[in-house]
Amino acid sequence: MSGFDNFNTDFYQSSYSVDDQSQAGYGYGNAENPYNKPYGQYDYSQPVGYASPGVMQPQQQYTGQIFQPTQTYTPSPSQSLYTSSFDDEPPLLEELGINFDHIWQKTLTVLHPMKVADGSIMNETDLAGPMVFCLAFGATLLLSGKIQFGYVYGISAIGCLGMYCLLNLMSMTGVSFGCVASVLGYCLLPMILLSSFGVLLSLQGMMGIILTAAIIGWCSLSASKIFISALAMDGQQLLVAYPCALLYGVFALISVF
Amino acid sequence: MRLRNTSVDGPEGSQLFEDTSGPAAGSQTGYSNQPAGPQAAGFPAQSILSDPMSNLAMAYGSSLASQGREMVDKNLDRFIPISKLKYYFAVDTLYVGKKLGLLVFPYMHENWEVCYQQDTPVAPRFDVNAPDLYIPAMGFITYVLVAGLALGTQNKFSPELLGVQASSALVWLIMEVLAVLLSLYLVTVNTDLTTIDLLAFSGYKYVGMIIGVVAGLLFGRLAYYLSLLWCCVAIFVFMIRTLRLKLLSEAAAEGRLVRGTRNQLRMYLTMSIAAAQPIFMYWLTYHLIR
Repeated sequence: MSGFDNFNTDFYQSSYSVDDQSQAGYGYGNAENPYNKPYGQYDYSQPVGYASPGVMQPQQQYTGQIFQPTQTYTPSPSQSLYTSSFDDEPPLLEELGINFDHIWQKTLTVLHPMKVADGSIMNETDLAGPMVFCLAFGATLLLSGKIQFGYVYGISAIGCLGMYCLLNLMSMTGVSFGCVASVLGYCLLPMILLSSFGVLLSLQGMMGIILTAAIIGWCSLSASKIFISALAMDGQQLLVAYPCALLYGVFALISVF
Repeated sequence: MRLRNTSVDGPEGSQLFEDTSGPAAGSQTGYSNQPAGPQAAGFPAQSILSDPMSNLAMAYGSSLASQGREMVDKNLDRFIPISKLKYYFAVDTLYVGKKLGLLVFPYMHENWEVCYQQDTPVAPRFDVNAPDLYIPAMGFITYVLVAGLALGTQNKFSPELLGVQASSALVWLIMEVLAVLLSLYLVTVNTDLTTIDLLAFSGYKYVGMIIGVVAGLLFGRLAYYLSLLWCCVAIFVFMIRTLRLKLLSEAAAEGRLVRGTRNQLRMYLTMSIAAAQPIFMYWLTYHLIR
């Protein structure tokens, strides 16, 4: 808003000087005119118009608020409305809420099931990563000749709904559906490894069964670890891991058979 | 770029004289609370947002949505008592382990009384005798998946069959609970068994069923019959010992013989509920092992 005020006063100054020079007695009406044509008429207003929003716009407010996307967006439309400058909009990825650094952090948490997870990483619900992983899983299934995107989506929807109900009943604090979907989607990553193995070698032998069991265990341990740390549930990790294992077991069934 | 400037110049001109930034920002927070996706398309929609009518519509829409959610929450709580359900899910790993052991081997356990704390039963976490809903729920889902697996090994699997198995098992469960409720009503037993308790007790048989089917899948029909027999006897004893304390009068529950038709009726009721469990266990699993 401060940027807008400065912009405003600059225009007022320029319009008054024009009034003194050329037309007299118009007052209000003339004050409107330069405002309606800011970039056309007056040379000194144009660089002022461009410079002041560039200077006044506090760019840092976007980077600081990547963790709370809702707060990021509140100033941005109103600011862009008032300053109408293309350079001052946040980058597209920030507007979309896709933060690659966070996605990478969460991926690392999934890949190290033994490492203790930080409870705050699930504060912002991020569905971009899980979407990518689901699509990658469907793509690797496609590579082995199984066109089963519908089953993947259906099972993940039902599984997310079931986990959402269960976690809401089991934990002291509630959990949002987006958070559940996000965690379950991230922990699908090892399953992609399994299905890509299935492309190269058949998973129905003894080695395939052992690999499947290990990967199901990996997925469900990571998912339960993240849930436990985010919801502060104690002594219930195996209880949360079991339904996750059932869900990932169904995914494994799809990739094996 | 030119188009965008001219499109926002109009409202900018009016902003000079009337500062509508307050309500505009307020309604825009309502809009911006949506997921990140639509915001990216907010670019051409700036002119729509600046229109006060659409701001009003946006604010009204978001308030309607929150009202709708409140209504759902309130009504859901009326039909499904969420807080009561939460009690049945307050379990931890130790309790589940002990309870599963009890379901398979109830012969050594001595004290079957549920602990109370000032008139309310203690959470299952702290008392192994209290019923819970975690084991029945997980047991049901596992049963459906194992049934799918078993049918898959018989080459009869299809995803629709999973749905059929699930719904038929659910229907049998509901019918059993209704039958028990009806018989409790007919015998006019004064008990503090709630419907959810009955649901929990009826759901414990899925554990035995799963053990039987898995044994049958791994080791053949003989293993299936043996393990199913063991689990049937175990659940019979478990149900008798648990329900005895709830349904029978104090004296009879302690094992002393008490004459009287009322007590006899209650004893028959307990025995029939307990005997129904093995029958259901066999009925729901025999077609899975061929």
